[in-house]
Amino acid sequence: MEEMLLLIRDAITAGDEDAAKKLVGEALKAGLEPRNIMERAMMPAMEDIGERFSRNEAFIPELIVAAAAMQEGMQLLKPLLTAGEKGSGKVVLGTVYGDIHSIGKNLVRMCMEGAGFEVIDLGEDLKTEVFVEAYKEYSPDILGLSALLSSTMQRMKEVIDAVRVIDPSALIMVGGAPVTSDYAIEIGASGYASNAFEAAMNAKELIV
Amino acid sequence: MTGKERMLEAFGRSESDRVPVWEMAFNEESIIKLGRFFTDDLPPLKFAQQMTVEEKIKLLMTLFTVIRQLELDGITSIAILDTEKVDEDHVRDGWGRIMRISEEGEATAVAGPVSGPQDLEELKPYHPRQSELMMLMAAKGNFGNEIAQVMVQPGPFRESWMLLGSMEKLLYFYIKDPRFVHDLARIATDFILEITDMAAELGADIIAIDGDLAFSQTTLMSPAQYEEFILPYHKEITQRAHELGMLIFKHSDGNMAPILAGIVEAGFDGFHPVQPQCMDIGEVKTGYGDRLCILGNIDCTYLLPFGSEEDVEEAVRETIAKAAPGGGYIISSSNSIHPGCKPENYIAMVKAARKYGNYPIEV
Repeated sequence: MEEMLLLIRDAITAGDEDAAKKLVGEALKAGLEPRNIMERAMMPAMEDIGERFSRNEAFIPELIVAAAAMQEGMQLLKPLLTAGEKGSGKVVLGTVYGDIHSIGKNLVRMCMEGAGFEVIDLGEDLKTEVFVEAYKEYSPDILGLSALLSSTMQRMKEVIDAVRVIDPSALIMVGGAPVTSDYAIEIGASGYASNAFEAAMNAKELIV
Repeated sequence: MTGKERMLEAFGRSESDRVPVWEMAFNEESIIKLGRFFTDDLPPLKFAQQMTVEEKIKLLMTLFTVIRQLELDGITSIAILDTEKVDEDHVRDGWGRIMRISEEGEATAVAGPVSGPQDLEELKPYHPRQSELMMLMAAKGNFGNEIAQVMVQPGPFRESWMLLGSMEKLLYFYIKDPRFVHDLARIATDFILEITDMAAELGADIIAIDGDLAFSQTTLMSPAQYEEFILPYHKEITQRAHELGMLIFKHSDGNMAPILAGIVEAGFDGFHPVQPQCMDIGEVKTGYGDRLCILGNIDCTYLLPFGSEEDVEEAVRETIAKAAPGGGYIISSSNSIHPGCKPENYIAMVKAARKYGNYPIEV
């Protein structure tokens, strides 16, 4: 059993989608608990690749293929996980109005999913009311806001202020090239990360 | 000395009379806001895509006025590819790429004509028309050889991912299908070479290769992946530019340190913009100043949008002290003069460059 979990872990870090799918299928047939597979093989695999990414030993292509392999495995696990086992929590993500950039936010989505979060990706160039409506609809544990431009970055504060009207204790994380931790504090965000992997790790700490 | 001579001297990494001042890009709002300092004859404040032909011409004339009044040493032109409107926020170009236009006036590909290797056979290469280089023609007609004519175009990386409609997809194929990545780069490079040829014919002096290859932390791809998937195509493009008598530099935001040696190996004559949040211009000057002309570095993320004119002057003074001695430095913002930048701060930047940028540097 341990060996099977190791193989799944290796398939994901190598970004081998076919192997990940096949091995997760075999592990389920062999009677491994879906939650076990997720927590002891898939999440550690993404953590490995994320740590290598943070140390500049792995780059975005490696992160993307690992996330794709994880997704393949998750397709098999998702229907089998019960509500209580859905993972680390729920995150709603989006890029703020006026900003059409997506890659930073998409990498955060991949890393968040890799860390076991259920992620609802709202997309890009979103008006404040879209975030507010999504917050009401999904009641996420964390709302994540992304911006690439210093001009659009300022819209994050508008979203934070608007969401806090309906939920004063809302956990809101911000990130993106121009965003700094000082800026995050200044606009009242609950969390900040300087890269996608750190975003996932910080999100976990935030909801503990 | 003309602006063009000053820019070429900087690329030759020798001192001229003063540090050249140039900018990679302005956009509608920043052109109009700067234009207010010099003329009342301005187009309405809206995106070029929504302007009439007369308004677009007025916008271009306003840009020329700003450049002339501020005595900039170069002008940057872009190829404006013909597009058709898809809906309020989207247009389609001749490749079949769907571009989304944001409120900031920026266009980015959100869907491409290719989703994987199976689509390549059906892809019809798009050949640029000379009319799409109208901005360069107008700039050359207006300024002649007074100032340097810079022609910017997306590089093989950006052209490739735009064909897929997503950068992530291209980076996925770096590992999953390297042959396909090369096939896309080939198509992209042929297109870039066609524009390069046309730009030379129309009198461009310098080619700028756009398309970010890095983010704040490091490069998007590993140095080995850069060497495999991008460097050979960069080499082809720099060779062509040089054969045509032009200079060429690479633009990329982010921390490019891991592949700067590759940028030199590819044959680029310069590097822009040395983003100050993640690269130290002093280190770049020490490490590469003998091989690359350095352009940029005046922060447009915080300083130009939110700083004071005094802050801007101080940053210009410090940057000139680090990068200008010996030549090989062209001052500009760390990306572009975007709508968030205060026009007063940009003017302060140009004035400070004139105050501190006279050779020999004494700051």
